Amino acid sequence: MAREIYAYKCRRCGTMHYPMRMVCKECKANDFFEFDPVPLPKTGKLLTFTTVYNLPAQYEVATLGLGIVELENGMRMLGQIEIDDPEIGMAVKGSVEVVRRETYDNYYGMVFTAA
Amino acid sequence: MRDVYVAGIGITTFTRLEYPLTEIASYASMMALKDAGLTEVDQIYVANMGSPRVNHQTALASAVADSLSLLPAGAAAIENGPASGAAAIKAGFQAVASGMDDVVLVAGVERMREVNNLEATDFVATLTHPLTEYIYGVTLPSHAAMFARLYMEKYGVTERHLAMVGVKNQNAALNNEWAHLQQEISMEGILDSPEAMTNNPYVAEPLRFFDACPVSDGGAAIILVSKEKAQELGRPMIRLSGIGQATDTHAVFEREEPTDLLAVRKAAEDAYAMSGLSPDDIDVAELHDAFTILEIAESEEVGFFPKGEGHIALEKGETALGGRIPINVGGGLKGRGHPVGATGVAQAWEIVTQLRGDGGKRQVEGARTGLTLNFGGFGNNVVCLTFVRED
Repeated sequence: MAREIYAYKCRRCGTMHYPMRMVCKECKANDFFEFDPVPLPKTGKLLTFTTVYNLPAQYEVATLGLGIVELENGMRMLGQIEIDDPEIGMAVKGSVEVVRRETYDNYYGMVFTAA
Repeated sequence: MRDVYVAGIGITTFTRLEYPLTEIASYASMMALKDAGLTEVDQIYVANMGSPRVNHQTALASAVADSLSLLPAGAAAIENGPASGAAAIKAGFQAVASGMDDVVLVAGVERMREVNNLEATDFVATLTHPLTEYIYGVTLPSHAAMFARLYMEKYGVTERHLAMVGVKNQNAALNNEWAHLQQEISMEGILDSPEAMTNNPYVAEPLRFFDACPVSDGGAAIILVSKEKAQELGRPMIRLSGIGQATDTHAVFEREEPTDLLAVRKAAEDAYAMSGLSPDDIDVAELHDAFTILEIAESEEVGFFPKGEGHIALEKGETALGGRIPINVGGGLKGRGHPVGATGVAQAWEIVTQLRGDGGKRQVEGARTGLTLNFGGFGNNVVCLTFVRED
């Protein structure tokens, strides 16, 4: 099964949250387990981006592409980008990959390529 | 609420310091106590972001209280990311304004050069959203870079404008003996010559090396007192007249208009409202130029210029010493350096220096009102302060 990244939908008012909240940002619903996970779409357009040269400790690559993507449902997320000549507004598609490796753990996140 | 005055200020050189963290905080505090003519305080707040992680030391305020022989004064450390300094000043203000304390020492300190640059960058990056930003390798330079790209696209800001902020502030630091960077730079050296691209490589496109503040060690301190105490001490009467603080979304991508810094806008509005001032009343300002683009954006959000026109004012020299609203005449974070926990206090130190008329070569002529903007997170926790000279 393909890995997913989830947004969280408020059961009371339907507002989608990414990242998750403990309390709904719209209706302030604050009962426990008030949200249903909904997979984020994997296509969208690139809003802004950078290539980073001074990476934090742990990274063994020379540079890293990062970007903010507006997904097809209007929500936004940050992800790594693997695109040769990125441009603002270009169509991108994402897949869930390992984005950070630590000694005992791998962290999964969205990696975008040109659509 | 009682009025609150600044009775003393102190600072250390911002650079790489080979002294223990407690000593750096204490040295700045001793200068502030001496300046105020005090040997006792009711309360101590120490602003610091990284000591548990970077220096393997906790409970910093207790250490400072004992080191300065201020026992049995109350003491607490305040960690609020890069806005720790101004958040600690706010706490000090509340203590005096409430009537609970008459004399409060606020010290800000950071010793980041104890670790290498990669670890320092990672330590600051831990303030980003853990699950939706940090895991991707996001750093503060990368946030600033993505923000700068949007600003360029939308408002016509160019790499030249960014470099102009860098040259203005780094060269202003030459007039500040406490500042970290003491090297003159020029547009030719960092942008316009064949060597420039070697001198000034990208750190996170479109931001270059000279668009970012240095990683510094340093401390700064101020003493806040009641009006009666201020009159008794006889130092220039400088009132901390306005405070605004606001938060914004933790994840930067969630902001509806990604070029807006709403917490900056709100913090400034609240500080103006509290002090009865408007942006036009401010004579000198310290903005949080951890990256050159931030000085431009913040100069708009605090109301000095309309949105999207900060870079035009910069071009005209309105933000330089002698301009309409001089910004970061002591070098800003870019030139003075950015020991994160100390920065908010160092900004207040500069404004008080200016309002006392002690600015020397960087003095803004006749300055009687000043503003500081301490920008935490990537704009998710911002504190704005205003100061007024009354006597």
